[in-house]
Amino acid sequence: MNREGAETYLRLLAEASMREALAYAPDSPQTWGPGGSRGRISVVGQVLVMVGALDTEAFEDIVTDFDFALNVRIRREPAAKRTFIAGSAPPGKATFQAVAAARWAAQSPTVRSGPRRKAGRLGSTAGSAERADPEPPGPGNGDARAGRFVPVGLTVPFHHAGIGGELHLMSYAHTGSGARFVVAWGMRTPPLQRMMGMQRLDLIPFEQFTVTDDRGTRYQLDCLHAGDPEWTGELSLRPAPPQDVRWLDVTAPPSFAVRVDLRPAGPACDEPQVTDVGHSPGERLLIVLAERLLTTTPEWQQRRPPAERMRRMPYPTATNLGDIVAALEAADVLSPLSPVPARLAALCAWLDFDGHGLAVPASPELPEHWLSLLAHYQRRKPDPPPVHESYAGLAADLPELDGIRLALLGLHHTGEGSSLDVLARGLIPESRPGPLGIDRGFPLSIWLLDSGGRWHATRPADRRWTDGECMARLQLVPPLTRPTDWVEVLASGQSAEVRTRLPLRWGFR
Amino acid sequence: MMKDGPNDPWFASLPGCEAQLPCGSGRHVIRWEAGELRLADHADPEAELVLAALGGEKARCVEVAQAWARHTEDLTVLAVGPRGPADEIVVSWEDIDAAAQGVGRGGGPLPGPTRLTVPFSGPPVAAMAQAAARRAQAQRGGEQAWQRRNDLLSLLALGYGFQTRLIGQVVAAHADRPDEEDEQGSGNGRSTGPALTAALAGRLAPVAEQWLGIDPDQVVVSLHRGAGWGSVELTGRGEERRLQVSLPADWLARVWAPGLALVGRHLVVAVRRAGWPDARVLALSAPGREPVSLQAHAGDGSSGAADRPHWEI
Repeated sequence: MNREGAETYLRLLAEASMREALAYAPDSPQTWGPGGSRGRISVVGQVLVMVGALDTEAFEDIVTDFDFALNVRIRREPAAKRTFIAGSAPPGKATFQAVAAARWAAQSPTVRSGPRRKAGRLGSTAGSAERADPEPPGPGNGDARAGRFVPVGLTVPFHHAGIGGELHLMSYAHTGSGARFVVAWGMRTPPLQRMMGMQRLDLIPFEQFTVTDDRGTRYQLDCLHAGDPEWTGELSLRPAPPQDVRWLDVTAPPSFAVRVDLRPAGPACDEPQVTDVGHSPGERLLIVLAERLLTTTPEWQQRRPPAERMRRMPYPTATNLGDIVAALEAADVLSPLSPVPARLAALCAWLDFDGHGLAVPASPELPEHWLSLLAHYQRRKPDPPPVHESYAGLAADLPELDGIRLALLGLHHTGEGSSLDVLARGLIPESRPGPLGIDRGFPLSIWLLDSGGRWHATRPADRRWTDGECMARLQLVPPLTRPTDWVEVLASGQSAEVRTRLPLRWGFR
Repeated sequence: MMKDGPNDPWFASLPGCEAQLPCGSGRHVIRWEAGELRLADHADPEAELVLAALGGEKARCVEVAQAWARHTEDLTVLAVGPRGPADEIVVSWEDIDAAAQGVGRGGGPLPGPTRLTVPFSGPPVAAMAQAAARRAQAQRGGEQAWQRRNDLLSLLALGYGFQTRLIGQVVAAHADRPDEEDEQGSGNGRSTGPALTAALAGRLAPVAEQWLGIDPDQVVVSLHRGAGWGSVELTGRGEERRLQVSLPADWLARVWAPGLALVGRHLVVAVRRAGWPDARVLALSAPGREPVSLQAHAGDGSSGAADRPHWEI
């Protein structure tokens, strides 16, 4: 990595932007407006910070100096009204809010010391033919990232004191932070009560539920996260059952009982296939940007006035791509021979984006999953009606990718769309947005192939943290339009990608 | 008078210059001469500083001289200062006074760095002490930021002549060690190479535009670090046309700051014998040619000649 090259590139970009700004006027929209030169420096700088090629302090210095330099060149009205004294960023190590953290870099395998797995093995997978339980360590027991994950796919009806409905147990997860069911749920409530917000998971009378294991030990169910009916919930089991528990009986009021076999013998699921991809940090970032373009374009098009939708326009996420590629090359985190910029150029051509600034010719070849999504966008006929509200129990513990270990715990579909529920261990909490809308808090790519041969991208929609573990809802783009018999999940990071195919058992609400 | 060889000081081709500024109840003259700032109306600045330390009011001239001394190695000067004679920076002493009044109204320094506050747990006394320490630290940071901003604005208010001389001073401080870390200027330990490269590019590109009519964005600049003066090559055609320039960082101090960059349709790449108003320079008539040695003479008589010297062959 060439840190000096990265800083030099950003400083030279600031010089070019300064010339451009002065050619218009230092306070013109071309400088400060969307897509303006100030934004250009900020985006490219944040990208360099994200890949670890530039430290945050250098980035702040360059941007604050640029702001100050422009400010002292703006002609203003009488001195008393001049604003650069109190209003502008000073040329110090002072305030600059658009600070990109080095967290992305921290997530990157270039700074992670953990060994890369060559071939993955499931910790516990859906329908594993092997019935011996894995050994999920408890808290403080060695590798806290290991866990036990079992698909369930059972419904528990309940009725108590006028409140009734169904609890859908999608999967069981036992990790370092405890044991829990991932659940979907539905309540039969009159419209008025629904309007009054009486559709919450924590309104279900869990104190009336009993959970007993194969040895007669009883457990308490606690609602970890309630949310709304569009979300899945989590019910923790207290105390955590032993690691070799065979089954749990869940009894709901008045007397509905369901046995949850924690050693399922369902259809075997494929062993995850791990392939080294060896992307550079720059390639990885460009792939994430491409996926952002793929997943946000429809919304952007819909937000535009109808009259403008046929007009080629620079898409904000795509406007600085040429600068970004040049900056990544200057920082030696992207090879000039990398095929990824040409794929990005092809993607922009497919999506009809103007002004991306990429100098490379568009690649004739795009990844299969990108093409599948592009083909979906180019369909003329409307989508078929979506599937009914439904959920599928699934569970798979994927091998570690870039220091992050994912467990797939459920797939569900509501009126709001389709989502994949995952539990991530090893993520670094990051609430600040990255440049161009990149989600710095979830640096992996997850794609899903349905049994009809269509690929679905995912993007993080919600996440919640418990004891350092992150339960994330990944929204599928586009949503499922029919129940699929199986899904193939493709998870990729900078170092490797993992594929696994999972059979699904759907339940309907 | 001409000074000989590479050992002559970087400022030998720069005449003295002066500016007036409001100081106390009058307007005082501040001069730059032979690399030094002089306060014409303050006989003993050191004594005034002692009095100021004892509670007396510090004269603005003295404040400016102190600011100058604080920023002679500050690379921010290169990012903020002018790129050429046409690049006008508009800061007046009234602006600086208005800023000072703005500070006073708030009862403290201007807002400084914002830091995330970390929730603390502990006994109230400890918590209060922690909070007080954080406030004090934030205040110190704010004061430093205000001081730095006020310094730079004051130095810019001195005008173009002082601005270019300060740029020359900063470059001269770093030019012979562009690969070393910037210990003194920012204390951040980063190499000074990127800032020097950008400073060179930002000032050479408009000169190249004047010289060849080339788009400044087509000028590719790098720091020349070896022996000799560097290189200037023109490559490509049309949109692919590039002027590849490699010059040492001290070109900014020895050539650009005295206004010698473009003389008689020649790009000056080095100064052989520095001096004012006569200097011997090494200059290119076109990219790719061998440089020729030329005698340059500074015109005089026009107003502002010291600030923006005009050289002829």
